Amino acid sequence: MNENKNVKLPFFGIPRLIPYIKQYAPKIIFMIILGVLSSLIDSVFPIFNRYALDNFVGKKTLEGLTLFVILYVVVLVIQVIDNFICCYMCGQVELSVDRDLRNAAFSHLQTLSFAYFNQNNVGYIHARVMSDTGKIGVMVSWRMMDIVWQGAYIIFVLVMMLALNVKLALYVMILVPIAVVLVMYFQAKLVVLNRKIREINSTITSNFNEGITGARAIKTLVVEDKIQRDFEEDTTKMRSTSIHATHYSAFFTSAITMMSSIALSLVLWRGGIITLEGVTQIGTLSVFLSYALGLMEPVQNVIVTLSELIAVQVNVERLTRLLETESDVADRKEVIEKYGDTFNPRKENWEELIGDVEFKDVTFKYPDGDEYVLTHFNLKVPQGTNVAIVGETGAGKSTLVNLVCRFFKPTSGQILIDGRDAADRSQLWLHSNIGYVLQTPHLFSGTVRDNLKYGNPDATEEEIWEALRLVSADGIVKRMDKGLDSDVGEDGGMLSTGEKQLLSFARALLADPRILVLDEATASIDTVTEKAIQDAIEIVTKGRTSFVIAHRLSTIVDADIILVVNDGKIIERGTHKELMAMHGYYYDLFTKQFDEASTDAVFE
Amino acid sequence: MSDYKNKRFKTGSELVLYFLEGSKKFFVFSIIFSLLVTFLDLIGPKIIQYTVDFCIADAESDSVPVYLKTIMDLLGGREFLRDHLYLIALVVAIVGILAAVCRYMFRLMNAYGSETLIKRMRDKLFDHIMHLPYTWHGANHTGDIIQRCTSDVDTIRMFISEQMLSLFRIFIRIVIAMYFMIGISIPMTIVSAAFIPVIVLYSGFFHNRIRTEFERADTEEGRLSATAQENLTGVRVVRAFGREKYEKDRFVKQNAEYTQMWINLMRTLAAFWSSNDLISGLQVMLITVLGAVFCVQESITVGEYIAFVAYNSMLVWPVRALGRIISEMSKAGVSIDRIAYIMNSEIEKDKDGATEPSLNADITFDHVSYAYENGGGDVLKDVSFTIKAGSTFGILGGTGSGKSTLMYLMDRLYDLKKDCGRILVGDTDISDIKASHLRKNIGFVLQEPFLFSRTLSENIGITQNELDMKDVRRAARIAALDETISDFAKGYDTYVGERGVTLSGGQKQRTAIAQMLVSRPPVMVFDDSLSAVDTQTDARIRQALSENTSDSTVVLISHRIMTLMHADNIIVLDHGRIAEQGTHKQLLEKGGIYKKIYDIQMQGT
Repeated sequence: MNENKNVKLPFFGIPRLIPYIKQYAPKIIFMIILGVLSSLIDSVFPIFNRYALDNFVGKKTLEGLTLFVILYVVVLVIQVIDNFICCYMCGQVELSVDRDLRNAAFSHLQTLSFAYFNQNNVGYIHARVMSDTGKIGVMVSWRMMDIVWQGAYIIFVLVMMLALNVKLALYVMILVPIAVVLVMYFQAKLVVLNRKIREINSTITSNFNEGITGARAIKTLVVEDKIQRDFEEDTTKMRSTSIHATHYSAFFTSAITMMSSIALSLVLWRGGIITLEGVTQIGTLSVFLSYALGLMEPVQNVIVTLSELIAVQVNVERLTRLLETESDVADRKEVIEKYGDTFNPRKENWEELIGDVEFKDVTFKYPDGDEYVLTHFNLKVPQGTNVAIVGETGAGKSTLVNLVCRFFKPTSGQILIDGRDAADRSQLWLHSNIGYVLQTPHLFSGTVRDNLKYGNPDATEEEIWEALRLVSADGIVKRMDKGLDSDVGEDGGMLSTGEKQLLSFARALLADPRILVLDEATASIDTVTEKAIQDAIEIVTKGRTSFVIAHRLSTIVDADIILVVNDGKIIERGTHKELMAMHGYYYDLFTKQFDEASTDAVFE
Repeated sequence: MSDYKNKRFKTGSELVLYFLEGSKKFFVFSIIFSLLVTFLDLIGPKIIQYTVDFCIADAESDSVPVYLKTIMDLLGGREFLRDHLYLIALVVAIVGILAAVCRYMFRLMNAYGSETLIKRMRDKLFDHIMHLPYTWHGANHTGDIIQRCTSDVDTIRMFISEQMLSLFRIFIRIVIAMYFMIGISIPMTIVSAAFIPVIVLYSGFFHNRIRTEFERADTEEGRLSATAQENLTGVRVVRAFGREKYEKDRFVKQNAEYTQMWINLMRTLAAFWSSNDLISGLQVMLITVLGAVFCVQESITVGEYIAFVAYNSMLVWPVRALGRIISEMSKAGVSIDRIAYIMNSEIEKDKDGATEPSLNADITFDHVSYAYENGGGDVLKDVSFTIKAGSTFGILGGTGSGKSTLMYLMDRLYDLKKDCGRILVGDTDISDIKASHLRKNIGFVLQEPFLFSRTLSENIGITQNELDMKDVRRAARIAALDETISDFAKGYDTYVGERGVTLSGGQKQRTAIAQMLVSRPPVMVFDDSLSAVDTQTDARIRQALSENTSDSTVVLISHRIMTLMHADNIIVLDHGRIAEQGTHKQLLEKGGIYKKIYDIQMQGT
């Protein structure tokens, strides 16, 4: 994932966001009006000074002071109220847009196919949902208002200056384009350098990570000093790059304040002369002095904000790309009409699923791969058949399961469910009839009960306990402080892998699926739990069409058919007996595992 | 590790001072330049005041000091300056340029200081972590340690280079401005100054109070983020159970709660900002009015009036920032403690006078027992055996039999406790041998090897200071890896992703074997290290290994008798005890556990 790609979208990508901003348009317009008013008032305050100087100080009288104070306070209070409302609304817009985009992204992700999840890692997708949305929210609110506030202020000040004294105003205005060019030059340099700094920073973080997770390797290899040297190389690079960037940013801010000083000296010189000549009064001179001092910073801020807008385009692009991605296994229109979509199922039209599965002349390659992993593959799996899929980690054992579950669609050929093409009925219909027990059992944070009812929200207390008993997981739950209401901790952190596995069996059992998919754990678990899991597998697969992705081959000896996968392709198929007789790959795999298991068994 | 010393830091400030070594001088320069900036910034209004009073205003006044007047008179007095106003403009411009140069230098020096500081902190932390014992790594969570090394380090950097410095600068700014202001009008200064504690306290109090709200919002964000994360990692479960709608509803609800929390917070913030605006606005107004009154009463001049207003406005923002900075500074203490925890952890140490004997010697385990710190009983119970120099030694055991612990003890990754036996190399107790020497001479290949995120050749040659491709290739050939690597598009320059994810288990194991062969240690330990390699390759590697390691001591650890049967001596480890010992033949004749396992494994095939 190239995070640093430069993206150029028309109007900073704002048009693509219109659907999400539209409903806040009245608020945004109101905000802009308030913002302009606030800047107007800001530019008016020096005028109060001028009035005080010219009328009280100049004329040596305090006449009208009360009115002056009242007016001043009134304007101040108006501005304070204006700012309060404006900031509050701006925050509301920011957070609402942020929320809406997050919801949209999250909901859309629920409909995307596995092709998307295979091609983009979780971290990347997560950043789209959680961080891009936030950045865009800030852009359409605060960054936009920054431009309104500062831009309006600059315009008002220029207008005021022109109104007060054209010649003097022109002197100050000459400096503005110079400042603009200066800021733009440095900002461009800084964007590049800051990107580099972020890159080195993440390298340093992963260095820490490697140094800590690789502690055993580093120690046994005695490479501490080498790793330390390489680490210091990175921190040195970080130091010099940061300082290099500071050269620019320091020069940049110093140059802007220097411009302010030059503006000030110009006003003092030319303004002084005019004042001496009696053309203007001291009050006007003082107004000009404060305008000249306060003009350069807003100019700088507007440009910095603009460059931030440019940077956010990447986020806009990435997020809208996610929102525009279409699922490549989307249900057809007439299917949706009859069976409903992901969020609005029409269960009244759903047929019962029996559980006959057939691969009919299926050819398949992963959307991100270029090699066909199945070519003209045929397999009949009548209701109740146990299919086992074996092979090494990363050999591609999940492919068949992915196809049965319609996580992917075949490149050509058909998957028949109960004799009909799977694509003829909705994904939700199919999924509602599938039970899934994952390799690394995934529990959601929440209570044990929430997790068990995940596949069947209507399960009763009795049904839950019955399911737990069947897979001998009742003991686990009883041991927990609050029984079913115990919290499992984020990703089931409170439970051992074996316990999680048993609970996810119970979960699958509760859903009472017609088709069961079992992705067995590789992690070593103690023998007692392993025995419990083997028994559980036997119970949950009984009478159901099941696909078992097996790592421990001892569990699948009795499977109706075993498919052996290597390098993504099915290389052998048959029953355990047939495969052993072949003395091929399966034989090899089985022997090795058998030896290990037997050793463990003897020592028990 | 030999030259690394453990320092103990009794207090947080001691630790901070230690980190500040090398960067202190930059910070001193930075402070000096910031003083100059403040001073130059603050003489600007003075110049304007003099100009207005001396040249522009009608009335001659006494606001200009005598020495300045003398200088000006020498130059030609008021008339001359009036005709040559650009001279004053030039002075203003020069002061401005000087201020800009000082500001640049200040920021640069600050960057030197802060970058040197953070580099030192990171280097020292990393170095320390490298030298902590392996048991420390087991007892502490990786995520937590990384958190300390990244965000806590940043907090401390901010504390020193931003907060402390800002505090100092703002303080100096207030003092100098006050000095000038008092010179103009004491009553007006009192009015202006009266607002400072009000604003600082108000903002400090507010930030302290709002902090818990922020923390709550952060927690809520963490929860929302976790929900999204769970949904994504559990996408298979969600889909397979058809719970998309449930997931969506849950997320939308949490998202709404989180957003509402922030909107409430935003209202509080907006109220705070605008009330602060009101307070400072009122202060500015009071000063304007008071100034006008005093001006009319002729207790101050027009120039002084303009200067005073300028000074007053120059204080508004720094004073506002003050409250926030003070409230944020309290966070640093926690971070310092968290870093001190790492820096004060005891590092691995060799005994004084530790030796470096040859490892081409018998290795003897003499009544060794071991238990992990976190309980769970003894992993090893009174284990005694000898590995003859140059022999091949087999250890057969089940999962959790303690066979790997034996090897960790031999490599001093774990240290034996008192009265728990001893391990000897020749006649030397290994606790008297330098750990680095021991480890350099004992090569390990683990079942799940750790690969570094570097290229394959760098991984294989990681123990070498100079990478010799000839050695790397030779090692790779023995490990049956050369062909596989040649198939990769980038060959030996293939980059191994974090934790070597791009390689299969078998390829990783073979890389680790090659890595060990490059340094050719006299003792080689293979801990189930060919488990992910297919039988044919396994045989090839075995053949090549035995041809190339004939003079080394080889320890084979396995579940499988096939792997061990040719060893010169085999021990059978049963729950931390030696159950049987002997050659393959002897053990078979004995008819015990070994025989039993042998029968099952042979019959199975």
